[in-house]
Amino acid sequence: MSHLKSDLAEKKVTFPTCKKAQIIELWCAEPVFFASRELSDTYYTEGVIGNYALAYALGWAYSPYRLTGTATTKPTYIEDLSDLDCYILPAWAIDNHISYRFERFNALSDAYWFAMSNNRVVINREDLPLKRTGKKPSSYRPSNFPQTGRLKMIERGNLFETIVFGEVELPEYIRVGKFKSKVKITVKKESLIEYLPTAKYPCKTYLNSADLPENISYFSFDILAIPPVSILKNLQFEGEAWRIDDFIVPANLKFCQS
Amino acid sequence: MSIEKLSSFLASTYENFPKGRTISLVVLRTTQSETIFRTEGSGEPMSSEFVQAGLENTEIIPRLVMTKRKQIAPERRKGREFLRQYNLLYNAKGDTICSLNTNAPCEMCIDCFLYGFAAGGEGAQKSRVWTEDAFSILPSTELIGDRTINALYENGTMRDETGKASTALNTSEYIKPSVHFLDIVTLKDVTADELRYAVGNILLTTRYGAVSSRVGRMDNEILGVFGGFAELPSSLELVQQVFDLLSKTDNVTLEHPLQKDSVVNAVKSIINQWTNKRGISVQLNEEELNNLVADIDTNWSMEKQEEFLARLNKTYESYRQIPAENTSKKSKGK
Repeated sequence: MSHLKSDLAEKKVTFPTCKKAQIIELWCAEPVFFASRELSDTYYTEGVIGNYALAYALGWAYSPYRLTGTATTKPTYIEDLSDLDCYILPAWAIDNHISYRFERFNALSDAYWFAMSNNRVVINREDLPLKRTGKKPSSYRPSNFPQTGRLKMIERGNLFETIVFGEVELPEYIRVGKFKSKVKITVKKESLIEYLPTAKYPCKTYLNSADLPENISYFSFDILAIPPVSILKNLQFEGEAWRIDDFIVPANLKFCQS
Repeated sequence: MSIEKLSSFLASTYENFPKGRTISLVVLRTTQSETIFRTEGSGEPMSSEFVQAGLENTEIIPRLVMTKRKQIAPERRKGREFLRQYNLLYNAKGDTICSLNTNAPCEMCIDCFLYGFAAGGEGAQKSRVWTEDAFSILPSTELIGDRTINALYENGTMRDETGKASTALNTSEYIKPSVHFLDIVTLKDVTADELRYAVGNILLTTRYGAVSSRVGRMDNEILGVFGGFAELPSSLELVQQVFDLLSKTDNVTLEHPLQKDSVVNAVKSIINQWTNKRGISVQLNEEELNNLVADIDTNWSMEKQEEFLARLNKTYESYRQIPAENTSKKSKGK
């Protein structure tokens, strides 16, 4: 079995399936928020835009307006993305410079009367007398979803950069993040993908750890542990590679392959 | 009826998958009274942001921001007032009626279908109304005033009968009246009636921001309606282009208050050039825009609103999932 696998891997190598790549710039017309980490009532965004998010935002795959039943607990990245013949890397901040903003949110009900309980907006006025006797009616108990808190977001005006593989036409604007923030796309450069033979290479781009080919060795990397898949940066690897302009990445990157 | 001109970008019925139909609205929001938009709580300054003044004028200025949620929340609530009035809100868990932010959306009403919900536990619905942070045209430094508030005792002084001084004294910032915010609202895969509902909510909502029972009066005007398969430029770019144009126009002085006419003219002359940009296929002209607004006014009129809302409500019938009776079993992993 392992023999077969390596055979397949060898076949897969050769030359890139797509010939062209575009280096694009993403300009945040609005603050961008992802729930990368949640600490108490503060919700943090990491300084990166994941490539699955970008693939959906670019319209390469669609997720339905309404999710019901088991669909709410099981994402469909493999079904949606793995057959695509184009690819995009996670987007990194240009010059590593990134600015954030903090914002507070509270979510009020549409009732005239309400009370702020423990992470909960209460609107059952009839529970108030009971509560005053020291009891805790169920409407006063903490809620399992946030109604108040703080958001750390990527600030408006930040610039990100990433590489799109394959011959795809890109929209001028996309919407990303939990709040569907508007982001403008500019193509900075189009370039042919150059194949590099197996050797040791440093990689300056961010990489999605689930999209890396099997047949490379890793020497060092930094990891951004965020859902759904951790992002790698500063990777030193040995294996075949692609060169796009100034960037070198492992060859045969593909959605959800490992 | 001008809504027909948009028909190729309108859905005939609600569908669960996106189909790339986009209606975009250019909205001018003008404050009619003191208004408070802040994101850091009472006593904190107004929300503002340092951005480039224009696309050509690269000076950096602070602009007031009306954030996405400060727009969508009151507009949803406005629509829901009518849904409640006509009993079009459904029961969520048990006997609780559909209510925002109580972890009990009914998942069945017009508001749930159009603006979405996430806390249902048994599913989620994405919003098909996308908003954008709206910006003031002028720098925030010109648009902010200070008010001192004091709450007198009933004897008309700041000391009660025992001579104790009141602590109810505070100074807080506010946004002046006649401040113009420019905004782009995007509707995705909506039906004609959903378009009427969403635009109706925008036109009917008159109070925004904090303390909206006292201040926050605002007037919304639709300056442009586009149909296409892609989004319009961002509201930030629009406000920057307007700033450039206004500073080039001879008889416009860039200070508060701006003349509404010149703002409207500037916006219209800019958005008229957008028709040929990628993905934007149809723009309603002046007359068609007026017809659309008239159409929406008719559907929302006292005589027609009940019928209009009932008609829209009916379109979701086949998508409603009636929750199983009395599923008292706790779901796992909670």
